Amino acid sequence: MTNKEKIRLIEETLELEENTLTENTMLSEIENFDSMTKLTLIVLCDDEFDKKLTGEKINEFKTIKDILDFMD
Amino acid sequence: MKLLDLTGKKILITGAAVGIGKETAILVNKLGAEVILIDIDENGLKEVIASLEGNGNQFYSYDLNDLDGIESEIDKILFGFGPLDGFVHCVGIRSRRPLSMMSPKLLSEIMCLNFGSFVELVRCVTKKNNFNKGLSIVGISSVSSLRGSAGVTAYASSKAAMDCAVRCLAKELASKKIRLNTVVPAQVNTPAYKDLIKLKGDAKDDILFRQYLGLGEPADVANIIAFLLCKGSGLITGSAIPADGGFLST
Repeated sequence: MTNKEKIRLIEETLELEENTLTENTMLSEIENFDSMTKLTLIVLCDDEFDKKLTGEKINEFKTIKDILDFMD
Repeated sequence: MKLLDLTGKKILITGAAVGIGKETAILVNKLGAEVILIDIDENGLKEVIASLEGNGNQFYSYDLNDLDGIESEIDKILFGFGPLDGFVHCVGIRSRRPLSMMSPKLLSEIMCLNFGSFVELVRCVTKKNNFNKGLSIVGISSVSSLRGSAGVTAYASSKAAMDCAVRCLAKELASKKIRLNTVVPAQVNTPAYKDLIKLKGDAKDDILFRQYLGLGEPADVANIIAFLLCKGSGLITGSAIPADGGFLST
């Protein structure tokens, strides 16, 4: 899956409009980026990429690119 | 009479390879009981069994998602072990998942293991010749069955279903001299709790504010389970007993 496709998947999962996010988007800039959003991304990584993302790890992420790299 | 005494008693414990199930196995064995341990984690079971006293303890690696196979498995186990005096159901999936990421399949899986296996095991262990008079059954519930929390709809519902089943079955099985209760822990010091705190950031203070006696350890919950298995709790049935450090009072 390309980074563009992954970004679209994140947008759909978080119910964001298309092209809202880029690789450089800061996670703190995403509207309502709270513990439920983090939980949603943890489940997404598990379901779609078979990657076990922890609460500790996601708190280290600064940008969308950090999530994309983890999905690889 | 010692308040906590299980000398000569035979107790079945599911989910016994880790956490509350493991601590319960160790405690009731120290109190004099022989145990049968069931878990899908065979290596974990071997470690627990090795730490116990006596030669009569047994373990079985079994996936309790297979509801249809439980009856023959229990009949086989109890044919060799003898009738039960206690049954503790600790097995369960602790799922955290937003509604948007839920699916009918996942909901069914959680209800199957956390609730379905409990009811099926109760049915099987309460069959004629599978239990002794005074059988005590304990399920592990959760404060989430009584207080709403985001992201745990399936898990909390499965625990609420268990609490409800216990209230009904306590009445149904009272004539057989069988008691059923649940223990209702709040946050217990486990890897899942530690990860939750990291996810929520400032949530630790909030959780411990509500759970004002502090974080529980698996052994704290095991103490209450052991009491419910003993004669001294003979007047308690159909109840959900908090092991919550005060959480439900706030």
